[in-house]
Amino acid sequence: MAGLLLSSTEKVFIVHGVQEDFRSDGRSNIDYRPMELETDVVSHASGSARLRLANTDILVGIKTEIDTPKPDKPDMGKIEFFVDCSANATPEFEGRGGENLASSISNTMQRAYHSSQAFDLKQLCIVEGKQCWKLYVDILILECGGNLFDAVSLATKAALFNTRIPLVKALLMDGGNVDLQLSDDPYDFKFLDVGSAPLLVTLCKIGEKCVVDPSAEEESCSVISLIVGITGNSKSYCADKGASNLSDVDIKCSTISMNGPGSLAPKTLKNAIHQGIIAAKVLDDSLGQALLRERRENINSMKSSYGFLK
Amino acid sequence: MWTTKTFLTKTKRGNILKIVREHYLRDDLLCGSAACNTCPHKDDELVLETSPKSPCALFDFPHYLVLDTNVVLHQIDVLEEDALTNVIILQTVLEEVKHQNTAVFQRLLDIISNKKRKFYSFVNEHHKDTYIERSPGEKQNDRNDRSIRKATSWYEYHLSINSLDGKFPKIILVTDDENNRKLAQEDGIICCSIKDYIENVSGFVGLVDKLSKNVMPETCSKDALYPAHLTPSQIHEGIRCGQLYQGTYHASRENFLEGNASVNGFEKSILLQGHIGINRAIDGDIVAIEIFPKEEWRKPSNIVLEDKTEDPENILEEETVLLDAAKPVDNDDEITPTGKVVGIIRRKWRQYCGILMPSKFHGATRHLFTPAEKRIPRVRIETRQSEILASQRILVALDSWPRNSRYPLGHLVRALGPIGDKDAENEVILLEHDVPHARFSEAVLNCLPPNDWTIPEEERQKRVDLRDVCVCSVDPPGCTDIDDALHARRLGSSDGLATYEVGVHIADVTYFVKPDTALDKEAASRSTTVYLVDRRIDMVPELLSSNLCSLRGGEERLAFSCVWEMDENANVLSTKFHKSIIKSKAAMTYEEAQIAIDDSSRKDEIAKSLRVLNKLAKKLKKKRLDSGALLLASPEIRFQVDSETHDPIEVQAKKIVDTNSMVEEFMLLANTSVAQKILEEFPQCAMLRRHPAPPPANFDTFLKAARQQGFEIDVSTNKSFSKSLNEAVIPERPFFNTLLRIMATRCMQQAAYFVSGSLAADHYYHYGLACPIYTHFTSPIRRYADVVVHRLLAASVAGAGPHAALLDARRQTALADTLNYRHRHAQLAGRASVALNTHILFKNRVEIESAVVLAVKRNALQVLIPKYGLEGPLYLPSEKFTYNEEEHVQKCGDVVLKTFDELTVRLSLDSSNLQHRKLVFELVEPHVPGFSYVPDAGNMEVDDVAETAAPSSEKTHKKREIPAAAAAPKPSKKRKSRRK
Repeated sequence: MAGLLLSSTEKVFIVHGVQEDFRSDGRSNIDYRPMELETDVVSHASGSARLRLANTDILVGIKTEIDTPKPDKPDMGKIEFFVDCSANATPEFEGRGGENLASSISNTMQRAYHSSQAFDLKQLCIVEGKQCWKLYVDILILECGGNLFDAVSLATKAALFNTRIPLVKALLMDGGNVDLQLSDDPYDFKFLDVGSAPLLVTLCKIGEKCVVDPSAEEESCSVISLIVGITGNSKSYCADKGASNLSDVDIKCSTISMNGPGSLAPKTLKNAIHQGIIAAKVLDDSLGQALLRERRENINSMKSSYGFLK
Repeated sequence: MWTTKTFLTKTKRGNILKIVREHYLRDDLLCGSAACNTCPHKDDELVLETSPKSPCALFDFPHYLVLDTNVVLHQIDVLEEDALTNVIILQTVLEEVKHQNTAVFQRLLDIISNKKRKFYSFVNEHHKDTYIERSPGEKQNDRNDRSIRKATSWYEYHLSINSLDGKFPKIILVTDDENNRKLAQEDGIICCSIKDYIENVSGFVGLVDKLSKNVMPETCSKDALYPAHLTPSQIHEGIRCGQLYQGTYHASRENFLEGNASVNGFEKSILLQGHIGINRAIDGDIVAIEIFPKEEWRKPSNIVLEDKTEDPENILEEETVLLDAAKPVDNDDEITPTGKVVGIIRRKWRQYCGILMPSKFHGATRHLFTPAEKRIPRVRIETRQSEILASQRILVALDSWPRNSRYPLGHLVRALGPIGDKDAENEVILLEHDVPHARFSEAVLNCLPPNDWTIPEEERQKRVDLRDVCVCSVDPPGCTDIDDALHARRLGSSDGLATYEVGVHIADVTYFVKPDTALDKEAASRSTTVYLVDRRIDMVPELLSSNLCSLRGGEERLAFSCVWEMDENANVLSTKFHKSIIKSKAAMTYEEAQIAIDDSSRKDEIAKSLRVLNKLAKKLKKKRLDSGALLLASPEIRFQVDSETHDPIEVQAKKIVDTNSMVEEFMLLANTSVAQKILEEFPQCAMLRRHPAPPPANFDTFLKAARQQGFEIDVSTNKSFSKSLNEAVIPERPFFNTLLRIMATRCMQQAAYFVSGSLAADHYYHYGLACPIYTHFTSPIRRYADVVVHRLLAASVAGAGPHAALLDARRQTALADTLNYRHRHAQLAGRASVALNTHILFKNRVEIESAVVLAVKRNALQVLIPKYGLEGPLYLPSEKFTYNEEEHVQKCGDVVLKTFDELTVRLSLDSSNLQHRKLVFELVEPHVPGFSYVPDAGNMEVDDVAETAAPSSEKTHKKREIPAAAAAPKPSKKRKSRRK
């Protein structure tokens, strides 16, 4: 990050620490900083989540719309990502400053969600070939404190988990057209199956090793970072009873991209991906637990909403 | 304090939106009870009494009533009685009622606003203690019931702790829902059904009678009322395999639940009945039809049925009336192939004129629109200006007809003007008949020659100079667009017979209207001049129609002449066509010409020429009739119009004199000669006119009716038909023969323009005129077909190459279709204009006139008043008259009414509904006790009217006669009128 000034000795300190799997804030190389997550924060959206990871603050809203499926994929819905870098986040985002970053995040997300094993678009189909749901994932970066990709993917998965898709009845109209009928009960909705939705893990190469969730200081010590998209485990996202029926799903890597001017040796790359998978698995499990807990609390109306007041 | 209400809604484009509204909860809403000492009421806000006296024997303590929604909806009649007071109407109930039935809602509001009734409306939905949120899985109705119970218990509690002296009224929940009662009792609420409560109310006689016993079925859902239409590919497939048929849907004028579709391959058109059978087809649509198996075929219901229901929202009403009436009888020759519409191939919607029927509920935005055209169903439109529009003629466009809507949906296009205003009404007629009537555009006017145009020298050289020949024109009075003139002179003799030269000279419009100019295109799109009673919509601008082309007396004009050499038996010896210059010696009216012929003292050239023409015309006519031409009739009237108000004052039948027929004969002859010539020259693309022989089925009803009067009419050929029509005369009923001819006219097909290449030669026949080939040549000023024929003829006689478009058969066929369409609509517009003026004529009068029965229907007679050419239904009550289906007669005691019977009827204009004025026919003679109008009072009225009318007609010295457009599809008729 631009405003950060580190002396070379400070950098050396960080690099050496990482080498020893020992980071300046006490974490190991695959540890994340603590984060705060709340879902259902925007009442107008179909699903929403807000995530704070250190100083990074992400708000994701999901909007559902009716659309017609693509002719080559008649039984699939659509999903689209939009990233808005608020000028509040950092002064660099002012004007068109954040555009490059925004499009790189949304492209990476789009790629990570592209595979049917990552996110099943068939669940968004209403009438094959005629109508489907289209999800607009609006990602708002409120504050930028490093590690945006990871935070965005976490918040997106949480928001999708929270998304309520209204149940509609399709009626046959004149000339084979389909008309949708809504139930008048606002509680008539379904949740999406987002268990396998991917998380992005940024691995920042510092010296010879990689770390996850780099702080701003660590980022300034790195010349290259690797972003891997790792699919989730549906089991972690099922309520207790259903979970036992599901077998653990192998975690797959759905996208890889690199950021920064440096390069990676094949061996380092392999190690890094491996490290990313381990980190993602832990992250995915704890996200699932947190979301399930929140949903339970919601149903029992024990939860009080924090919103933006905190 | 606030909460949010979240709900989903669907947009017009089909998207589903999540809407979140803030919902404010308050703690300062008043309970409205005088028994409460905490709510800070002002005196006038205390609606409910401190200690109301119980009217009901079941409860001997003071109480207030809380009603649930269904009680209000069903028992509004009871509530309107003064019996129940001290009632709390919850907002939940109020909103549900408003949503379900606006009429009941209005009545409920009236009750609430009546201070004496002590109805208090409590805004429970916004009170912090009575608002409840819908819980998951709960139905809207259950939530509302719960909310009502919650509010009831709140009242109970509120009054019990806040009462002044420890005495407080109890609350009784009145509901007919057993489940709701059970749940209420669990909550400790006193409840009761409305029936139990009302039956124990004493002191109000007849209150129990007002209880609605039949509880209405659950309110209509938004479910589809109509079956879905098939997809285009299904229709295509069905038609290809022969399971479905394609046809044009024609709605019945008389019965809104019936229509038919003409389908190729069926002699009779396919009957379509009922909402489901018609399935949202609108007159003119091209539809796909499934035809039922033969056992289910029915016959047309033969009843007059109007859509009278008062805004039934989205419910299809009972159709039993229709279906009972149409129960098939075995071996009935009226049984018609029956089917149902399964899909719409093409909508032929246009914009429709009509009037708004404002919703009863003040401030509503959804209204029904009644089109002027009876064949079009009512349309649901949304407008916020219903109060202004209610008194206007409006134009509405149709948008869609979804499955769940009783009526098609449309929107307002514009208002045309106040109802009854003449200009607005004329506008309606023109729009309804798709008559282009805008002013001529600048581009068109630029094609016109200068006002002071004279014949240029080069034209004089090219044309035959006939200025010395004694040419004259004979037309109706007031005619300004004279397009034909005649001459005849003796040549000599051959074979002992005198020979004559006879010429017909037609205005040379094509000299001014060059092909493919803006003027030409405009004329082609207008196709014909349209004559309304008080207005003429020209095909070409007035400079041409009334001046440069018009063959006025004493002026040199360009003409296209057709000159025959004829012997005295009217046999044509030779024919020649050429362009010419003429100078008409006189422009006469029919009557003037008749006088010139009859006045033997006149020896001048004009009179001589006319006498020759008249003599030859009679011979031509005889020959024509001998070969089988039909003399048909149609009721024709002309109006006398007040010169200042332009309102019609009186009508009279058109006078027919010999000269009418004289001109007609020569025009027919010219048309036939030209037709032969252009067909010879252009066998593939000559514009001709044909009149197909009517299919025998058309005559069924007509023959049956004639048989009842004792006449066998032979319709096998036009010759035998003509002969038997001539013989069917009842001496004491002079009008009978004319009536027969009027009826015969209605059995005919429409004559139509066509291009010679598009049909086989044996289809060229003109049935009505009994001539093998025919075209229109003689009225180029007012008909575009004649312009085309002029060009073709010019190309064939002058040798000048024809314009390329003339030879394009496809383009010519398309043009012929347009011409037929416009021609038909011009006729209908003319008739509509006559009808309009007849209405105006009857605005201030009542008359007793003789009438004849045109048709006998199940519940009415279709009668014609010959004097006015007026037609309408005379409704017969079914409790007095019995209808005999076999014979088509209506009986009441000794009185038998059948087709062709003469009656006396009383005519009046029913202005009780200003928007819907209609002529009412009442039976006077034959006398049917208890039904017929008693005539003495009527006579008085007629006298009164006559007396008052007399001086006014004297005052207006200058009266102009304007002939009405006639009604028959007779091709040779001359119709002209003077421009206002």
